Amino acid sequence: QQTLPSHPSGHRQPQQPCLPPSLSEEFGGRGRQRGPQSVPKQLGLQISAGFQELSLADRGGRRRDFHDLGVNTRQAIEHVRESKTGSSGIMIKLIANYFRLTSRPQWALYQYHIGYNPEMEARRLRSALLFQHEELIGKTHAFDGSILFLPKKLGNKVTEVFSKTRNGEDVKITITLTNELPPTSPTCLQFYNIIFRRLLKMMNLQQIGRNYYNPNDPVSIPNHRLLVWPGFTSSILQYEESIMLCADVSHKILRSETVLDFMYSLYYQVEEQRFRDACAKELIGLIILTKYNNRTYRVDDIDWDANPQCTFRRADGSEISYVDYYRRQYNQEITDLNQPVLISQSRRKRGSMMSGPVVLIPELCYLTGLTEKMRNDFNMMKDLAVHTRLPPERRQHEIGRLIDYIQKDDSVQKELRDWGLSFDSNLLSFTGRVVQAEKILQAGNVFDYNPQFADWSRETRVAPLISAKPLDNWLLIYTRRNYDIANTLLQNLFKVTPSMGIRMNKATMIEVDDRTEAYLRVLQHSITPDTNIAVCILSSSRKDKYDAIKKYLCTDCPIPSQCVVARTLSKPQTTLAIVTKIALQMNCKMGGELWSVEIPLKQVMVVGIDCYHDSLAGKQSIAGFVASLNQTMTRWFSRCVLQSRGQELVDGLKACLQTALRDWFKWNKYLPSRIIVYRDGVGDGQLNTLVNYEVPQFLDCLKTVGKDYNPRLTVIVVKKRVNTRFFAQSGGGLKNPPPGTVVDVEVTRPEWYDFFIVSQAVRNGCVAPTHYNVIYDTSKLKPDHVQRLTYKLCHMYYNWSGVIRVPAPCQYAHKLAFLVGQSIHREPNLLLSDRLYYL
Amino acid sequence: LGKNFQEEQFTEMIKFTPPLYKQRYQFVKDLVGKYKPKKVADLGCADCTLLWMLKFCSCIEVLAGLDICASVMKEKMHRLSPLPGDYLQPTERSLTVTLHHGSVAHKDPCMLGFDLVTCIELIEHLEESDLEMFPEVVFGFMSPTMVVISTPNSEFNTLLPGVRVFRHPDHKFEWDRAQFQSWALDTAKRYDYSVEFTGVGNPPTGMEDVGFCTQIGVFVKRYPQTSVSAQSEKPAEAAYKTVFKAVYPSLKDEKYLQNAVVSEVMFTAQIIKRNLLDNLVSEYEENNDDPAERKFKLQHSVNCFSEDLETWANAVVSEVMFTAQIIKRIPLRKIFSFPKVNRLCGTFEKLCKLITGKVTLSSDGSAVMLSTEHENEEN
Repeated sequence: QQTLPSHPSGHRQPQQPCLPPSLSEEFGGRGRQRGPQSVPKQLGLQISAGFQELSLADRGGRRRDFHDLGVNTRQAIEHVRESKTGSSGIMIKLIANYFRLTSRPQWALYQYHIGYNPEMEARRLRSALLFQHEELIGKTHAFDGSILFLPKKLGNKVTEVFSKTRNGEDVKITITLTNELPPTSPTCLQFYNIIFRRLLKMMNLQQIGRNYYNPNDPVSIPNHRLLVWPGFTSSILQYEESIMLCADVSHKILRSETVLDFMYSLYYQVEEQRFRDACAKELIGLIILTKYNNRTYRVDDIDWDANPQCTFRRADGSEISYVDYYRRQYNQEITDLNQPVLISQSRRKRGSMMSGPVVLIPELCYLTGLTEKMRNDFNMMKDLAVHTRLPPERRQHEIGRLIDYIQKDDSVQKELRDWGLSFDSNLLSFTGRVVQAEKILQAGNVFDYNPQFADWSRETRVAPLISAKPLDNWLLIYTRRNYDIANTLLQNLFKVTPSMGIRMNKATMIEVDDRTEAYLRVLQHSITPDTNIAVCILSSSRKDKYDAIKKYLCTDCPIPSQCVVARTLSKPQTTLAIVTKIALQMNCKMGGELWSVEIPLKQVMVVGIDCYHDSLAGKQSIAGFVASLNQTMTRWFSRCVLQSRGQELVDGLKACLQTALRDWFKWNKYLPSRIIVYRDGVGDGQLNTLVNYEVPQFLDCLKTVGKDYNPRLTVIVVKKRVNTRFFAQSGGGLKNPPPGTVVDVEVTRPEWYDFFIVSQAVRNGCVAPTHYNVIYDTSKLKPDHVQRLTYKLCHMYYNWSGVIRVPAPCQYAHKLAFLVGQSIHREPNLLLSDRLYYL
Repeated sequence: LGKNFQEEQFTEMIKFTPPLYKQRYQFVKDLVGKYKPKKVADLGCADCTLLWMLKFCSCIEVLAGLDICASVMKEKMHRLSPLPGDYLQPTERSLTVTLHHGSVAHKDPCMLGFDLVTCIELIEHLEESDLEMFPEVVFGFMSPTMVVISTPNSEFNTLLPGVRVFRHPDHKFEWDRAQFQSWALDTAKRYDYSVEFTGVGNPPTGMEDVGFCTQIGVFVKRYPQTSVSAQSEKPAEAAYKTVFKAVYPSLKDEKYLQNAVVSEVMFTAQIIKRNLLDNLVSEYEENNDDPAERKFKLQHSVNCFSEDLETWANAVVSEVMFTAQIIKRIPLRKIFSFPKVNRLCGTFEKLCKLITGKVTLSSDGSAVMLSTEHENEEN
């Protein structure tokens, strides 16, 4: 048996050779991109910046590798090189939102280099000179000034032609074949995407951000000044068997008010002294759209000291005020000369130069998307969901419209024909598997639940828990107005706790004034070392009181706490159900255990990691780290890492892993022989960094634990935001696939060991599968076992008596990071780390 | 093709700030600002840069471009499409932008009825036969109120060291001031226009006698009102091919107006509701200790506002939390009094007409009914 060193090694590892240039920026997540992309390009060929311009689509510099092309991790995992598919479960016929791209037989893309003698500088002149020879080249071509793509091969490998400039100068043009690209080459894939974007533009769709929208029949939600534009997100990639177009419905939420309008209406809602803070809170992080051109920017800051009359230096060196500039350039009159200006840290690259911050005028910018406040507005989200949550059949219909558009538009068809390409008119259909439902084990009882609903709250309602923590000594704090509510809570807790096996005494009831300080004072005075938990009834869902209480009880005075907004207990018909939930939640926070599923693997520690990025830009990022402590995975070690700008997240994660192993050892008296990390919060295009940097650091960290300690490590990247959708064929129609659906064929990527699982059930709209990508694996576990374990873990989130979208440790990590990022802003006290205090 | 580029090379020694081509475009923009034409055509529009600049001029309702080369127009024509912002807050003015592929030597009825036709650095690219047809097509047939023609002033060429014959290889000729002015005066006389000469690109100090680098003639029709009747021969057939057309969203279009009104009405109703609540809440809090006075004040503030809300006042006073559900009716008259709504609709009748069927109204049609759903909050 190995032993853990009494203290983790303090010295830092020498710098890794594979350290990327700006690591701190690399751990963005939630699909929101920040920072310059520094993933080293592994593609042999890159379509040049010139082509990006030509594409009518990607403006302003280099495109990011959103699809993590060229990260080939499967190769290194020996036992899945041959096959990465699982086997268990029953077959199910599925349809996915993919269309096969077909090309005529022996299709190839011919890449030519074009040289000029004498050298010609201007791109337009170069094109004009080259296309004097259209009879040779043909009408279908794509040219960026030096690289020419043709759908056909010219007679000779090197062709020399002569053109005359209009001042009569003779120019020799040398057309040299440099590459014959098979349909699957990475360059071709980029090329398809460029051509496809051209098509979308031809169909008069408007590009906003990465997607394309139809502005002609927007849905308007006047109550909130919202407009919803229907549109598409699309990408063409090499999938398991073929090159396919993945197309999904996308909705762009736009607002028919300018940032200035918004500021004014906010001004009337908050007190003057809070106005600037309120603006910052609501606006920073939002994406805005300029009135005068079609650009989107992220608001990073508001400069209250500047106004539209300030001047800036133009490219030609002259000084001009914003007012004059916009009047002259775009005939835009700025009417409010006292408004502040918005600052956006540009993430576009111009050549090799990073351009500086961009200054924007609130009056000339529209808001897009939803603010945090809107997201929390239940009614609004409901209004919105009517339009954006499409049930399977409607979604399939809307996706089909894209292909319809393509097939009906003559110029689009011509463009495709000229290149020798076409799309399947039917959605991809194939077979997936539905693995068997899990049994819920709870203190000697075994429960089955209806797998269709993926929920067992009813089945387990009155059953005893695995481990019930007593409420011997606890506080119940309320305001005078909520005295009745406090009593309701108490009475109902007395009703529900006995069957759960929770022993309960009457709470110490304390009445307070409805002020934050009053709550804090009571907590300071009344909490003793024996206090099990402090329950606070809050009169509103205002965040400041909640934040202050959580901050105090998670850091200075570490005991579990439960806040309840009074209103949630105001409806008699739902009170009992809600109190049942509260009782379960309180029990978990005190270190209790609710249920488990059968986990056949022994000596395995499961880790979940997720990130939270403070919306007040640049403040800090928080990574939640959660690791299982026992065989049944009912107890968890939780810790988080606060990372300010410029710091490396992974150093903190290493420390977390070390303490988690130490705690594991304390609990089990041995170290785990396998560690499985579920890593959530990885943005598009960040995979390479994870593979080349974070995984080696984990391995490194394990080495420091003990000389002979050599556990097997599996790292799985979890991605919730994917465009893939599955539909199950049932009768004549389409339904959501049932929970437990696993897909590891057709729509997965050949270079990865990846799979999709639909674990949750949704009541309306389309279920979103979760994508799992095993990027490192020395466990030698069969793919089927990894898939099954992953699905099992989706059953283990104690705040929801049902199956969730991600493995429980990821959701715990998310919850922890969210609490710290939103309310605590400091690392919570480690005394709490063996309980789910953040639920 | 590449005319701006070539010129810049040659004028490297003499540096114009802003660049000469921008000065020409600015000249047109200033002219548009001054005369406010509604229909403007740019002949020889090339990559549509001038049209793009002009689309921001709020007086213009019709913009047309014509060029002999379709591919150069197509390259950047999507710049002329409406932007998302144009859809978000449609403006009062309507705007249609059309690009035609064709020659200035041919007549096409789509070019009739324009207020301003610009020919910036165009005529020097025309073959002799086309140049001969040009006055008849532009002045005789199109017959706009105003024509702007710019062309190089060859007297300036001595100051441009790189220029051997012409400034651009595609130029068929370059005139000195006398040549241009005699051609222009001749043309103006024949078609009954007046013409004034000016230019952009000032010569360096001491060399003033060579004149502007670009010479410009501004032609104004003498009897503008006769324009339509004077059309003797109208070619029935179109000679140009339309390569691009964009219709901008405008409040003149019933569909956009209705959307804008409905949206503004609903938004205003929400504002009224919120203000009412805020007032009540603050009074409620201020007078928390004295129920009698509280009741009085609430009653008072409610009565001041509208008798419609009697029931609501009682509900508030009779206890509790100001839940949003209590306010249901917002009188249309009140909404109409908000300047934005007022401006959009003009009359109360128009307002009623536009929102009928789109907004839930009270049974007598005098008030907007707001939904009364609970604010459900999950914790």
